[in-house]
Amino acid sequence: MGFEFTMDSFNKVLEDISKNFIFYAPRRIPGKGAFSDTDVVVYQEVEGFGQIELDEKSRFSPKEVINPITQTLFYFNENGYTEPETNNKGIIIFCRPCDANSFKRLDEIFLNNGPFKDSYYESLRRKVKIFVIECVQGFENCFCVSMGTNRFDDYDAFIRVAEDRITCDVKDNLLPAFVKHGISAEMRPDFISENAVKVAIPDQVNKTIFTHEMWREYSERCIACGRCTVVCPTCTCFTMQDIFYEDNHKCGERRRVWASCMIDGFTEVAGGHDFRPDKGMRMRFKAMHKIYDFRKRFGYNMCVGCGRCDDVCPEYISFSNCINKVSALSREVNG
Amino acid sequence: MDINTKQLRKNAFRVTKNRGMTALRIRVPGGNLEVKYFDVIKKVAENFGNGRVHITTRQGFEVPGIPMEKIPEVNRMIAPILDGIETAVGVEIPDLNSGYPAAGTRNVSACIGNSVCPFANLNSGEVALKIEKLIYPNDYHVKIAVTGCPNDCIKAHMQDIGIIGMALPVYDSYRCIGCGACVKNCRRVATGALSISNYKVKRDHRRCIGCGECILKCPTSAWTREDKYYRLVIMGRTGKKNPRIAQTFLEWVAEEAVMKVIANMYQYIDNHIDRSLPKEHVGYIVDRTGYPVFRQEVLLGVDLGQLGRVAESINFGGYFYERTNIFG
Amino acid sequence: MSNPYSSFKASILSVKPQTDIDYTFRLATDLKVSSGQFVEVSIPRVGEAPISVSDFGEGWIEMTIRRAGKLTDVIHEMIQGKHLYIRGPYGNGFPMDKFKGKNLIIAAGGTGLAPVKSIISSFNQGITGIKDLTLLAGFKTPADVLFRDEISKWHENIQIEITVDNDDTGNWPGGTGLITGLIEQMDIANLEQTEVIIVGPPVMIKFSYLEFIKKGIRKENVWVSFERKMCCGIGKCGHCKIDGTYVCLEGPVFNYAKAEQLVD
Ligand SMILES: Cc1cc2nc3c(=O)[nH]c(=O)nc-3n(C[C@H](O)[C@H](O)[C@H](O)COP(=O)(O)OP(=O)(O)OC[C@H]3O[C@@H](n4cnc5c(N)ncnc54)[C@H](O)[C@@H]3O)c2cc1C
Ligand code: SF4
Ligand code: SF4
Ligand code: SF4
Ligand code: SF4
Ligand code: SF4
Ligand code: FES
Repeated sequence: MGFEFTMDSFNKVLEDISKNFIFYAPRRIPGKGAFSDTDVVVYQEVEGFGQIELDEKSRFSPKEVINPITQTLFYFNENGYTEPETNNKGIIIFCRPCDANSFKRLDEIFLNNGPFKDSYYESLRRKVKIFVIECVQGFENCFCVSMGTNRFDDYDAFIRVAEDRITCDVKDNLLPAFVKHGISAEMRPDFISENAVKVAIPDQVNKTIFTHEMWREYSERCIACGRCTVVCPTCTCFTMQDIFYEDNHKCGERRRVWASCMIDGFTEVAGGHDFRPDKGMRMRFKAMHKIYDFRKRFGYNMCVGCGRCDDVCPEYISFSNCINKVSALSREVNG
Repeated sequence: MDINTKQLRKNAFRVTKNRGMTALRIRVPGGNLEVKYFDVIKKVAENFGNGRVHITTRQGFEVPGIPMEKIPEVNRMIAPILDGIETAVGVEIPDLNSGYPAAGTRNVSACIGNSVCPFANLNSGEVALKIEKLIYPNDYHVKIAVTGCPNDCIKAHMQDIGIIGMALPVYDSYRCIGCGACVKNCRRVATGALSISNYKVKRDHRRCIGCGECILKCPTSAWTREDKYYRLVIMGRTGKKNPRIAQTFLEWVAEEAVMKVIANMYQYIDNHIDRSLPKEHVGYIVDRTGYPVFRQEVLLGVDLGQLGRVAESINFGGYFYERTNIFG
Repeated sequence: MSNPYSSFKASILSVKPQTDIDYTFRLATDLKVSSGQFVEVSIPRVGEAPISVSDFGEGWIEMTIRRAGKLTDVIHEMIQGKHLYIRGPYGNGFPMDKFKGKNLIIAAGGTGLAPVKSIISSFNQGITGIKDLTLLAGFKTPADVLFRDEISKWHENIQIEITVDNDDTGNWPGGTGLITGLIEQMDIANLEQTEVIIVGPPVMIKFSYLEFIKKGIRKENVWVSFERKMCCGIGKCGHCKIDGTYVCLEGPVFNYAKAEQLVD
């Protein structure tokens, strides 16, 4: 159902539903960019629509809302272990269509990969409602259209911001608050249909490409900083760590933190052997995960074309360009 | 020719080796100049000088080859520079058509700062302009420079007052993925103030120099910046007696403290300068009064804030031409 | 929602040093495991690590653990009566059904012997259906030889050849040289009816495989166990992934035809 709001009346909706939901949205944090006097846009709790950053792509993705960077799995004491308590409030995530599509990818790993469901992820994930913010122009480096992630129909609300009016298409159980504060209006979601960056995804990737010398370029260029994976809405890797508290050695916790296949140590085992020491190999491994082997497993590509990896690479390595190179090569190899 | 050389110098011209010829020094505080002023400088050099400029170490322009009698005309010609650069930042120029009112306190220079440089912890040029407003015009011989980080590209360590931008890194352990990039980098390029414990990072504040490298290297923004801080290094100098690099006087202080110290320093000079000499450089005044007197007077009314620290004592070191090295 | 990361306490029935750095721990548990599978072993506040089940029986499992770092160092301090935490078993073990009625050759390098020990034990008990078993094992030095007591008993039923890279004692009764040498000398009678397991360090696996191929063994009859960096053990953390394959889910045991497709 469609509704129209002013900023004020939309904030009233949020106020009404805030009894049952926490809102997360891209938010500009002044002065917190890496360079001095710059801001960073990151997903954080917001109270009103005015706090949402609409003009700039967020540096970090919304995945951290349901896949926390550091997450305690167990607390230990002398008698055994306990799990952290969870809160019952629902979660509403305001995000763009590409990011909205990323949650399905996270679900594949945390819920569908192998026989076990990740209970920590599931307990957060099941509380999520997605409010999609319409993209009219997209941002620099976006290539969602190439990935087919420009569209997202499974939203709980779809939001269009034009001038100072907000129009929404809303689904089912959130309706009362919208009905109460909005005016009924015609609303048909629109999705972006072209990006400046276009990426061709290779159908076939064979061993020739895995071992091709094209990756050597990245051995020289990449500095293994991991920025491209920490900002990626679809990267899910983590490492588990046990610690004891410095003030009480008998108590401690087991937690997990994000890991990255681009960073040293990801494949290093006892004795110091590293299975993927070379940065070109890591680039290939990451790229293949995003556009090839995840698809072999789950039927569609992992990458949602948000372009964040290109936004943040300090060495100006373009993932989208890399994929285009792979595609050209695969056409060459496969005729 | 009857020229009052004291007034000529105060007017930012100099007595050169060519009798009757002078050179004009144009201040470019912060070393940051709108190119439209090139036209003015060019006109001065072409119409009154020898068609060349010298770019000074302090980031000003020196226009040589000007006949001394042309000074009034030159001064009228540079009025737009005085107006656009000096009055624009709040410096009081008594008469825009009479040229620079003082030349003792030298151009406040600055590195390119965070308008371009990723390492800079501050907009050095803007800070230089604030200082210019605070201290110009002034006859006391003082050199001040501002630099964005301890790389010190402007050589703040060669100044009477060197101002170095610092970032206080604040750590959000939740955002840290333990990649170790900050720790490695701090060890490699700075002081090794970081270490890993329990897979998270610890910062030893006493070793940290606020360079901000950890913040730059962190992929997840676990390190971010809090308010800007400053390190103040003092009494660096070249010269014919005891050249030396500046030593830290204050660290982790706020901008207001820096400004107040600079203002106080002019009062200190006024209190102690040897008026029998044609000029006395502030460093030599400190040599005479000793550091404790300097410290006490320049810290009057200065709020060091929570983190601010003052050097207890300073060994300025440096060398003495006749004493340090023994030649065979 | 059950928590797949929860582990349970298992008390230590016995600790048996095999070498200075490899100890075998027998834990009391009803866990049903098959040969080649692994469990996640942990000590709260210290860490968790994937460890192969080296043997199992009614009410117990055994693990042979090498002192390699933070957790394994502390495990080595544990004594009988203390307990460890475990979860699992995880992964695909060896295809025991496929081995029924066949001749099996096991080539094991160093600690690679651990994940196959249970196959040898159960063969000795006559419960595998394997027709004939040959064990080739290579260790660095005589002091590194694992499962000495068991080996002396196994000799009764199976053909065993043990070699050391370097006999630093001067009185090693077995052979010296690389395990590939042992394979080279082998006379494999019935190629069609022979299955091969190779376990050990990556280089040892590679060269042993090549020797077996020279002998005429088909790659589809060769089985290997991969040790990769692992963390969660259940297909979530991503560390063990090679190309599209999760070693913790699809492995650690792979047929060579599949294994050779995996590019790190
Ligand atoms: C399927 C599988 C079966 C294994 N079976 C056995 C076994 O039967 N007996 C045995 O002794 N060891 C076995 N290992 C290896 C064992 O898991 C590691 O030695 C152990 O994780 C080291 O942990 P730590 O805390 O003592 O060392 P740490 O202090 O954590 O690490 C020491 C070094 O080991 C590396 N490491 C961390 N995790 C692993 C890992 N999962 N695998 C390999 N290296 C790692 C670290 O990167 C570091 O270089 C197995 C590993 C796998 C993947
Ligand atoms: S790989 Fe790059 S473009 Fe694709 S989803 Fe990740 S960050 Fe976005
Ligand atoms: S690209 Fe790397 S870090 Fe990202 S999910 Fe894949 S393996 Fe993990
Ligand atoms: S962001 Fe760039 S340099 Fe850093 S790991 Fe990724 S590709 Fe390499
Ligand atoms: S600011 Fe510089 S010195 Fe301080 S911890 Fe960071 S890198 Fe090290
Ligand atoms: S660089 Fe950032 S994520 Fe990496 S260890 Fe330092 S604080 Fe943690
Ligand atoms: S060990 Fe975590 S995915 Fe395999």
